[in-house]
Amino acid sequence: MHPFTYTKPRTAQDAIRAIAAGDAGTRFIAGGTTLYDLMKLDVEAPRQILDVSTLPGIATIDTANPRELVFGAGAKMVAAATHAGLRADYPALVEALDKAASQQLRNMASLGGNLLQRTRCNYFRGGAAYACNKRSPGSGCAALNGLDRGHAVLGGSDSCIAVYPGDWAVALAAFDAVVDVQGTAGPRTIPLAQLHREPGSTPETETSLARDELILRIRVPKTPLGRASTYHKIRDRESYAFALASAAVALRMDGTRVREARIALGGLATRPWRASVAEQGLVGQVLNAATARAAGEAALRGARAGHHNGFRIELGIRTVADALLIAQERV
Amino acid sequence: MTTNTFPDVARIDAHDKVRGATRYASDDSRPGMLHATLACATIGRGSIQSIDTSAARALRGVRLVLTHAELSRLQPAGFLLAGGYGVQSLQPLTSPNIAYFGQPIALVVAETLEVALQAAALIRTAYAVEPHQMGLDAPEADIVAQQESPLPKPMFEDVHVGDADAVFAQAAVQIDATYASAVQHHNPMELLATVAEWSEGRLTIHEGTQNAEGVRHGVARQLGIPAEQVRVISPQVGGGFGQKNSLQGQTVLAAFAARALGHSVKLVVRRSQLFHASSFRAATRHRIRLGADHGGTMLAAIHETDAQTSRHDLFPSVNAEVSARLHGIANFRARERLVRTDTQTPGYMRAPFEHMACFAFESAVDELAQALGQDPVALRLANDTQRDPVTGKPLSSRHLAECLRRGAARFGWARRSMAPGSMQDAEGQLIGWGVAAGAYKAATAPAVARLRVYDDGTALASVGVHEMGQGIRTALAAALSRKLGIEPDQITLDIGDTNSTPQHITVGSWGTATAVPAAVEAADAMLSALAELLPGDAAGRSPAEILRAAGRRSLDVAIRRKAPGQPDAVFTRLATGLPAPLGPNYPDFVSFSYIAHFVEVRVEPTTRRIRVPRVVSVADCGRVISPRTAASQVRGGVVWGIGAALREASEVDPRYGGFLNADLADYVLPVNADIGDIEVEFIDRADPLVNAMGIKGLGEVAMVGVAAAIANAVHHATGIRLRDLPIRIEHLM
Ligand SMILES: Cc1cc2nc3c(=O)[nH]c(=O)nc-3n(C[C@H](O)[C@H](O)[C@H](O)COP(=O)(O)OP(=O)(O)OC[C@H]3O[C@@H](n4cnc5c(N)ncnc54)[C@H](O)[C@@H]3O)c2cc1C
Ligand code: SF4
Repeated sequence: MHPFTYTKPRTAQDAIRAIAAGDAGTRFIAGGTTLYDLMKLDVEAPRQILDVSTLPGIATIDTANPRELVFGAGAKMVAAATHAGLRADYPALVEALDKAASQQLRNMASLGGNLLQRTRCNYFRGGAAYACNKRSPGSGCAALNGLDRGHAVLGGSDSCIAVYPGDWAVALAAFDAVVDVQGTAGPRTIPLAQLHREPGSTPETETSLARDELILRIRVPKTPLGRASTYHKIRDRESYAFALASAAVALRMDGTRVREARIALGGLATRPWRASVAEQGLVGQVLNAATARAAGEAALRGARAGHHNGFRIELGIRTVADALLIAQERV
Repeated sequence: MTTNTFPDVARIDAHDKVRGATRYASDDSRPGMLHATLACATIGRGSIQSIDTSAARALRGVRLVLTHAELSRLQPAGFLLAGGYGVQSLQPLTSPNIAYFGQPIALVVAETLEVALQAAALIRTAYAVEPHQMGLDAPEADIVAQQESPLPKPMFEDVHVGDADAVFAQAAVQIDATYASAVQHHNPMELLATVAEWSEGRLTIHEGTQNAEGVRHGVARQLGIPAEQVRVISPQVGGGFGQKNSLQGQTVLAAFAARALGHSVKLVVRRSQLFHASSFRAATRHRIRLGADHGGTMLAAIHETDAQTSRHDLFPSVNAEVSARLHGIANFRARERLVRTDTQTPGYMRAPFEHMACFAFESAVDELAQALGQDPVALRLANDTQRDPVTGKPLSSRHLAECLRRGAARFGWARRSMAPGSMQDAEGQLIGWGVAAGAYKAATAPAVARLRVYDDGTALASVGVHEMGQGIRTALAAALSRKLGIEPDQITLDIGDTNSTPQHITVGSWGTATAVPAAVEAADAMLSALAELLPGDAAGRSPAEILRAAGRRSLDVAIRRKAPGQPDAVFTRLATGLPAPLGPNYPDFVSFSYIAHFVEVRVEPTTRRIRVPRVVSVADCGRVISPRTAASQVRGGVVWGIGAALREASEVDPRYGGFLNADLADYVLPVNADIGDIEVEFIDRADPLVNAMGIKGLGEVAMVGVAAAIANAVHHATGIRLRDLPIRIEHLM
């Protein structure tokens, strides 16, 4: 842990000005459950921290708007998970939050910070003893020939196979969410599917955000698929654990046939992973155990096993299949 | 002998604990106190070539940085199992040698914890790296046959009765299987923490420990001062489980720094450091051969164990002590081997040997039942014994058969269909029902008890024992209250403090059987002494009334007590902080506690998650002194068993050494949502031989056999026999 200054800008403009004036050691913070944790591990060592959790309007949640759900980046996970009506209309979104972390963490953590949580790769978190391209570019990747049980089977590279660990972003990916950000260069809107990057040869760069860009809100287009949705998460214990495999799915049916399907995978890939080919393959099909399994197989096509994580390919297939059958019951 | 049962009373410190009012060493804060933290090695083995602490020392607020350069003159405290006091023989910071990943290399003391942490991160170390070895598949040179090792005999002698090899070879039905477990770490809520304070040449140590007397004598030896100048205070331990059973590496560092600085110093070992700073449950591998006739009589068994130890110590392996006693098997041979690894020395973690020994053996018994087509409860009942199979001596008491019968009835075992995979619930989940037995030695340690009653109706009791959440304060208060007629909240218990009576190590489930009979004996002595104050006139009067009638303000008694058959020399060991227990082998009998666990698992048909909705455990621990805390002990033991069977593993990357998942998020302990119904029942029958109150022990037997019952249930649900712990989703895919 290293000394740092802590300030609370009064407006978004102030926050952006302050971060632009600083260098890479200047960082936003909201709930601090990712950033402080990594600071205590000496994996992150910012010198200046700008608390954006109480900026005006940043914690607003609005579901009354006819076109979209709006989640302020500063809203707590618990506030979204318990927001009136959301569980009935978008169970996948609520389940993704409910099944994440612990009650204490959900009370602290913000929806914007959640999107930017960093990998749980133990070699990354373990510090200087271990080679890690993400923490120390060019040092190698200890996971590639190491304990990779929890590492990605999709989207990895020869430089990094770290899983994107979050749940919320996976559910958002299934619903075509977008993220409104604002930086020195002005505001812009990024599709959530383009927020996170695969590691390629630069695993230290995790998102498409510029350093001075502040996430203001997340917007989710309203859709009738919301009701027939689920976030199915398989983990090593019943609570307080990251996904071994998870699937956010949503369905629109014509009788027994699928009219439209959404499938996104969590816990398996280096970023929230939308399985579009699997979705298209389902359209027009009668949904049953066999077609659900086929969708799972399509979703995991191209997955690459390492040393200890091969079982998660089959687990991912079954998770998608089960999720589709759960969602079907909600139609 | 007490024959009636004890009432169900609440834990006397329950409210304090729930409100967070109970203070532990790491909560301590006193004027002028400085904060210390450790910096640790990042190589698997080797030595420090140079260590640059200049940046750390230059930091504002840093008061002291210690490395091996400053501490090389500390005297060794010795390893607990080699006649010493330490959790291992190696005291970090006394040499440049690095024996294992995570070994502390420097201590930083600063005015605030934040500065100490920052300074520790500024220390730069250059190492000469040597190869290290982490696993059980080690070269021959790293494998030690315990029988031929310097470990004392007969204590660590391989069990050998009859001719197991010949009888096994001839047996009509043979099971031959190997079982194993990963390393596991204790993770009590309370971290290892020491607050050291000097005053006029005397050292006071506040530390949660299960062995205040051992810490006192060990640290005195390390510092080269008389033990009389050291006081260790441990009124509450925030979870021990064997981790805090001896002198830890951090204690002397805090004491040394506090003396050098003239200020009290607090040193908390962080959670990530805990995985390398203290002991752990060794990785073990067990080959079990079990032979029976067609009728199901177990004729012979061979139990061969490879257990991990460190390169610098021999941590013994005593697995067959219990596996040879579970059933009446006439021919038994064990071979215990130790495998040297480059880790800190492993140690005692709740049911340290018994958990895995019984996992292996009771899995093999289940495999035998399967091979014979017999019901696993019936098979165990048919092989019961009332004589100790190893020594031929009588057993002080053994009600395992009754545990099995009562457990089976309560669980509804009769409704179990025999074939694996034959039971399902309405949602298509596979149901598995498994059973296993467990046993744990009933040992006893010597104790001194002092009791004082006052004319205002209060009392003060001192006895050697530590409260670590097991509820010994509640049990002591209940037993004393019943004898003396003084309300429990009027009795002050002075335990875990070396200024009180000698504080013998509280482990091995001997705490209650040691301390409660001693306290009650003191109470009996008190009643006699009170009667003498008012000859012929004491009957029907409370102690306070007698004192007032006799014009006395208070009255003191003291007694000392040892295990049946122990020589008086044990009191010298007691007084010098050395372990002095006896059991399970007493001169005239052998004594064990027993338990039977019945477990239901549900296995998801697709993603193969295993859940444990229901456990029934019936224990024979002799007389139950404190029913509420006893039941809570068993539930805690079952939770540990669920963790050990289905969750916990310390991950080892052999390239680096050490343990990789060193935090509470990544070391997968069970959480509340993992735990279903746990029903606990006691035989509650006093043991006639082991002590006057008929108490055996409970804390560890509680978890023995749980893992086997779970694995047996998983087999019953799925037909898949899993012999390596922990069992996880991938093993059923
Ligand atoms: C033990 C543990 C278990 C967990 N389990 C799970 C789990 O099962 N599933 C899951 O999904 N998550 C889990 N988490 C992660 C948790 O959800 C995240 O840590 C949390 O959501 C992050 O939110 P925060 O507000 O605390 O972020 P912070 O720590 O405050 O910030 C995280 C990052 O986001 C940046 N940031 C914050 N707000 C903004 C903004 N408005 N604009 C731009 N940048 C911003 C910060 O600079 C920082 O880099 C777990 C965390 C822990 C510690
Ligand atoms: S997987 Fe990525 S984060 Fe993990 S060690 Fe390799 S480079 Fe680092």
